[in-house]
Amino acid sequence: MSLKLEFSLENETYRHYLNGHPVVMHSHHYLALITKLVEEMGDIGGPQILTDVVEETMLAIFNDYIQKNGLSSPMDKCNVGREYYSAFGLGKMIVTGSENGGEVRLVHSHIDEGWIQKWGPHNKPINHFSCGYIAAVFAAAFNKPAKSYSVTETASMAAGETEGKFIVKLS
Amino acid sequence: MTVMRDTVVKSLAKINVQGDESGLIPEYDVLVNLLPVSLLNTFAERIMAAAPADKKAKVEEGLVRAAYECGYHTGCGIITSDIFNDVVLPMVTEGEKDILRGAFAAFTAWGWAKSGIVQLKEREKMVIRANDYYEAESGGEGLRAYMLRGLCQAFFELTYSDPYPAGMDTYTCQQVKGIEVGDPHGEFVVTKK
Repeated sequence: MSLKLEFSLENETYRHYLNGHPVVMHSHHYLALITKLVEEMGDIGGPQILTDVVEETMLAIFNDYIQKNGLSSPMDKCNVGREYYSAFGLGKMIVTGSENGGEVRLVHSHIDEGWIQKWGPHNKPINHFSCGYIAAVFAAAFNKPAKSYSVTETASMAAGETEGKFIVKLS
Repeated sequence: MTVMRDTVVKSLAKINVQGDESGLIPEYDVLVNLLPVSLLNTFAERIMAAAPADKKAKVEEGLVRAAYECGYHTGCGIITSDIFNDVVLPMVTEGEKDILRGAFAAFTAWGWAKSGIVQLKEREKMVIRANDYYEAESGGEGLRAYMLRGLCQAFFELTYSDPYPAGMDTYTCQQVKGIEVGDPHGEFVVTKK
């Protein structure tokens, strides 16, 4: 399966759309600082707020694509999320697993590589954004609602490792 | 000839960015991302709602700062890019003022806000009016175009402050009107700190 990407433009407002969803361009500086902001707001649940918002938003987009394109196999549905990750400029992921959970490796990561470009290596994993994203990938693949999977980042490029690694478990 | 805004907007709006074989978008001397507007709006709304009264100013400052640094570094990449050189620079006859006009045409073309400069006192003050911007649709309370505040400050600094990257944090931007609170347009005022 190869994700179909349809870019469109609203002529009056110049808003941009990808597969019918409004999208906007920012840079690694933006997501690095948003990540730092949620880290600093740990006492009000900052990282979880970001993770939840990413999961809910992405799951809706994946499910919309799956429905419009009549996809039914878990592998095809999983590939929607995996390929969207690269289309959004977020990097490249390798996904393995089943309905009960699995493992995701990030061989390229906008968040981690952006963090390192901006500040250098960090002392712990910071990719809360991708935790939410990966939860949405598995939920879409196995037709489950948001919050069905817990995702833990166990290796981090931002913390100096060569790849990111995430363990996914059915909640 | 000064910068013809409609021509610039139409030329730049056609550009679509896409991930390369690494799934990254290295453009304008940064790594670009292309994210759903609903994600950005919902995140801003929820983090502001979660912050207690004594932390709201810090969260707001963090949201503006993220946009500001993004705008400052990416904006520098934009105004020195081949596409900007090809499309905007041939029309520049009024120096810095035209560079700024071109930058705000890019601002519109790339969907950040349908906006333009309504008042400009070079090196001192700029007023931007936005007739359409995605943050106007975010939930929450009060004026909340954090991204636009950061970007307006960044673009003014790139034009009138010390050369990149020494000119950071010279100006500030306040939002004085907002579609999100019932005004007919958003309005943003950049002044010296």
